[in-house]
Amino acid sequence: MTNTLTGLSDALAETVSNSGAGVVRVEGRERLPASGIIWSTDGIVVTAHHTLERDENIAIGLPDGNTLQAKLVGRDPTTDLAVLRVESQNFSPLQWANPESLKAGHLALTLARPGKNVQATMGIIGALGGNWRTPAGGAVDRYVQADLVMPPGFSGGPLVDAEGKVIGLITSGLVRSVSMALPLPTVERVVAALLAHGSILRSYIGVGSQPARLPEALTEQLGQATGLLIVSVEQDGPAARGGLFLGDTLVALEGKPVRHLDDLLASLDAEKIDRAVSFKVLRGGQLHDVSVTPTSRPPER
Amino acid sequence: MMRHEIQLLNQDLDQLVENAKSSLVVIRSGGKGIGAGSVWHGGGLIITNAHVAAQGNLEVSLPPGAGPWETGLCGTALSAQVLASDKEQDIAALSVDAQELPAIELGDSKGLAAGQWVMALGHPWGVHGAVSRGVVIGVGPDLPETPGNGREWIAASLRLRPGHSGGPLVDAQGRLVGINTMLAGPDVGLAIPVDVVKKFLKERLGSGWLPE
Repeated sequence: MTNTLTGLSDALAETVSNSGAGVVRVEGRERLPASGIIWSTDGIVVTAHHTLERDENIAIGLPDGNTLQAKLVGRDPTTDLAVLRVESQNFSPLQWANPESLKAGHLALTLARPGKNVQATMGIIGALGGNWRTPAGGAVDRYVQADLVMPPGFSGGPLVDAEGKVIGLITSGLVRSVSMALPLPTVERVVAALLAHGSILRSYIGVGSQPARLPEALTEQLGQATGLLIVSVEQDGPAARGGLFLGDTLVALEGKPVRHLDDLLASLDAEKIDRAVSFKVLRGGQLHDVSVTPTSRPPER
Repeated sequence: MMRHEIQLLNQDLDQLVENAKSSLVVIRSGGKGIGAGSVWHGGGLIITNAHVAAQGNLEVSLPPGAGPWETGLCGTALSAQVLASDKEQDIAALSVDAQELPAIELGDSKGLAAGQWVMALGHPWGVHGAVSRGVVIGVGPDLPETPGNGREWIAASLRLRPGHSGGPLVDAQGRLVGINTMLAGPDVGLAIPVDVVKKFLKERLGSGWLPE
């Protein structure tokens, strides 16, 4: 034998052992615990929101065998991220990978600690792409899909590259039967927002909507084939107060096209809270401008 | 350069699979059912799961095409006797009347670590000598969600199927590190660590069956 396979095997095990120092157990549900990543030296841990079934009585299992009580800083169901804090000043956070070096097909490992010791599975990076929006409406900066086995308890742990650097926080809770890794910019943004506010602030107008095809003439005029037909309006909500009605079709917000729900969700960021914004609306065959002042979105689980 | 690395990997894989296959046997129990096993000792000792051998009336044969064989085992089935069996541990030692069988090289499951490359050989759904690859997920008596309180297991990312039972789990050097026994999920296989098998044989059969 040429020692190539044993070299690979040894390297995989070494990577697991080294990077396992930054992977913790997260005890926040009745069944099997899940995993988390040490984020900063001062005791911040990131994990997968869906693995935390409770807000209190959460514990973190450290690589050295100790268990510490953790406080929930906040959670963002839209990106499936949650942030925990433990009283510790000597955490060693994992290094994150340079995203430019990643390619589909590269070997990758996912690390977890549902029990006492670090666990691992191996696979490849299955698909890479640009930013995307989760089914729950969360903005993710990069599409990183892993092709590997994720046994129970692996969500919240890191997907690491051959050097043991973190490619993303892995979760099976965002897209059914697919293992997605949340990249550094997304985790950074959510951690910062949760540390600052305890939740992700988003603006809110209080309508239910569905995409609807626009008349042909309007399609040519606006350069878009669909708008968002309003099918429900919350009583006394921001949209109702601004004068949006059932049956209106939203076609633009602040000059940006609104073609489907993703466009609207992407636009309703924290900056629009309590600030009047202008919707272009199709009503009775005519285009109207309607001013709406969004509020902050009620927290959700 | 890249292609060269992959060719080297393939060379290693060829040799590993060829070695492990040469010690891989088919076990039929009670004229039906199919399990796997490994030649533990050239003097005719076969190791497998107790549940593979449970029906009695055992026949052991090498998978077709596994040769080259001069011992007459290839293709022909030999009847086997149970030397020792433990239902709890799910280990059975069988003997066949044959000499100079190619025993599998024994590894050391104590040294196994998460992330290491492993391969399982067996006869899933009756496909003789099929090979699966994975990595060690974890090793030890305290793996979460494994059966048997405090029982030692190797968990590996393997798709074990009926017909894998009793077959070898080998490391990157082709050494026996475990006995494939059951699944703990669609993509997680559990194997009995080879150190547990060594201890079982020593307790039940003495030191006479130590590897040559």
